[in-house]
Amino acid sequence: MTDVRAPHADPLADPQRDQLADPLADPDEQEAGRPASADFGLADWARWAWRQLTSMRIALILLFLLALGSVPGSMLPQEGTNPAGVAQYFTSHPALAPLLNHLGLFNVFGAPWFAAIYLLLFASLVGCVVPRTFRLAGSARTLPPRAPRYLTRLPRSAEYASALPPGQAAEVAAKVLAGRGFRLRRPAADAADGDWVSAEKGYLREVGNLLFHLALLGVLVSVALGGLFGYKADRLLIQGQSFADTPIGLDEFYPGRFVTSNDLPPFSITLDQFDASYIASGAQRGQPSAFDAQVSYTATPAGPVRTDHIEVNKPLSVDGAKVYLIGHGYAPVFKVTDARGQVVYDQATPFISGASGNFLSEGVVKVTDAQPQQLGFSGIFVPTAVEVGGVLESVFPAADNPVVSLIAYAGNLGVNSGVPQSVYQMDTTGMQRLTADPQVLAPGQSLKLPGGQGTITFTGYQQWVSLAITHDPGQLPALICGMAALGGLLLSFMVRRRRVFVRARARETGSTVQVGGLARTDASGGFEAEFASLAAELRSAHDQAVPSHPSAPSAHDQAIRHEGE
Amino acid sequence: MFKTKRRLVVLGAAVLAAAALVIVLVAGWAGSGHRDVTDVDGNASAVLYTAGHQPLAPDFTATTLTGAKLNFAAYRGQVVVLNFWGSWCGPCREEAPTLAVAAEQYKSAGVDFLGVDVRDTTASAEAFTRNFGITYPSVSDAGSVITLDFTSVVPIAGTPTTLVIDRTGHIAGAVFGPTTMGELTAMLAKVTGQAA
Repeated sequence: MTDVRAPHADPLADPQRDQLADPLADPDEQEAGRPASADFGLADWARWAWRQLTSMRIALILLFLLALGSVPGSMLPQEGTNPAGVAQYFTSHPALAPLLNHLGLFNVFGAPWFAAIYLLLFASLVGCVVPRTFRLAGSARTLPPRAPRYLTRLPRSAEYASALPPGQAAEVAAKVLAGRGFRLRRPAADAADGDWVSAEKGYLREVGNLLFHLALLGVLVSVALGGLFGYKADRLLIQGQSFADTPIGLDEFYPGRFVTSNDLPPFSITLDQFDASYIASGAQRGQPSAFDAQVSYTATPAGPVRTDHIEVNKPLSVDGAKVYLIGHGYAPVFKVTDARGQVVYDQATPFISGASGNFLSEGVVKVTDAQPQQLGFSGIFVPTAVEVGGVLESVFPAADNPVVSLIAYAGNLGVNSGVPQSVYQMDTTGMQRLTADPQVLAPGQSLKLPGGQGTITFTGYQQWVSLAITHDPGQLPALICGMAALGGLLLSFMVRRRRVFVRARARETGSTVQVGGLARTDASGGFEAEFASLAAELRSAHDQAVPSHPSAPSAHDQAIRHEGE
Repeated sequence: MFKTKRRLVVLGAAVLAAAALVIVLVAGWAGSGHRDVTDVDGNASAVLYTAGHQPLAPDFTATTLTGAKLNFAAYRGQVVVLNFWGSWCGPCREEAPTLAVAAEQYKSAGVDFLGVDVRDTTASAEAFTRNFGITYPSVSDAGSVITLDFTSVVPIAGTPTTLVIDRTGHIAGAVFGPTTMGELTAMLAKVTGQAA
């Protein structure tokens, strides 16, 4: 009779219970109690601090602090990405700004307190994951425990009689279990605790756990790799212009700790054409429908010229770096002649679109080498201009009716002192305003400056794109490690570690076979069925192994010997 | 159990120590390039490369602001002061008068000055040279490809950067940032005297 019983409330004490317990939980945590004793030495304090740091609780707190610390980075303008915004914040919040600056809130990701959180988190994770990895590896290698004495007390159990003597019954059971891929443990040759087999299966769970933890470490290392050996850069590129991936060719350059200018991949990119299309009618009128930057590029200075398209979310990959399209705008072309009739400025000048929408853009033109005085113009570019009550408005983002509106200045731009200036801002303190009202120009129209100071002509416009260049050598390893971590986690969730014990005790003829089974974290169920089928297979194997005619004296002898015990 | 925990602490410390060692080694390796130079005038922004560590200047062919073809290889045998600049660059305006004077002064000593006009337009660049009385030629490097070539041998991080190139075409000295007459004089004395 195969008697499959319902699980008991109290399974047998398991000598290796700790290792079978959910390995994702932190066994150190329960022990990280506070020191109480008076003779708690320096070494003990250090050990206590280390245990605290590497506990899961502290790691989670640090992770939360890291997320919290990043918030001001997105709420406040940052030195690295938006120095003009920081300057503006100082003007508009004169009392608050110095305090925030003192706390490093304008350069959050470079602030000492942010680095402290990051490093502590890193140490915490390494200190937690590395020892655990060794522990898991050890647990995956240990043999199953010895078979308990009373298997019917296990969550699953079966009992039946077999004609085979106990030794042979255990032998047959071992063969069946080995055939099912169990790892076996048999009693030592000289042991006197009967005939039994311990079998364990589901080590893939531990493998999955190990994979998860190692991959987690791999992700950390990959992120560090990217931070140390990667770089980020921005470049605004006007149609027809080209640039090389070298600090001078870049507008903003944020190298990793170990990146020198010589490490950048030496590519050059030319913007041949940029097309932006917009929805022309309906409720979505003016919304962009497609962007396409056609570029030609060389991966190395002497290399062949290739062409490609960069679209939103479709970066160009060149020599390990990725070039993303992150913005675009208009660059009106101005030609300026000075009082002496010399052409002193003739170029497309990028204007930046503001909050007023439809690419109404602002910018400045600084003519630093005009004679006898420097000239400056602050202006707006309106792609599709409509005058509403004397005010220019843009009604569509495409350049269907482009005009510029300019205010002219003459004097000292303040650039000769050698202090670098933003090309998007003009300091008019040393300048005299030449035109009382803004002067509106259509393409081809000129503005003659009063007092014979010169002429400015709005000759047309170009489009520009803003490119973000990132090189992150940790990206691919991080992806692989991330996928491995996920795979390991799934494996550890889906594979059950389960044990099956077989014990054969002698009776008058043959033996009584007890089969017991135990699965940990049987959340998905299924062990009951597996155990039932296994027990049935064991029983039929035992039945078949009984010789059909009494020509097996050895079995008989053994049965007698066991009976005598 | 206590023993195991101690082992874990030791293990954790060992891992951290190993990580620190790797970082120190890599940092040392990354910083090792800076020992090939000596400062000029006690100013870290102006350096002379020590003998044997002078990088060979790359050759280039380019168009000057006035539209002529210029082959840099033709300068071999001359001492060259190569200045990377742009009319848009404030610090370049600061050093421009010095360079204009120095170019005139060193003409008789066989020192040629040459500009590399980076990320600029011809109209603005010519207005700049006219304004500061710069008479030596400049090649146009709007796409910064010449700069890219030079960056592979000298860490050019921005404009202005000035290189002093000896008669064999090797870069003998470099000024990162606006140059002064004192720095130029010290470097050129070394280079012209050495080769004389």
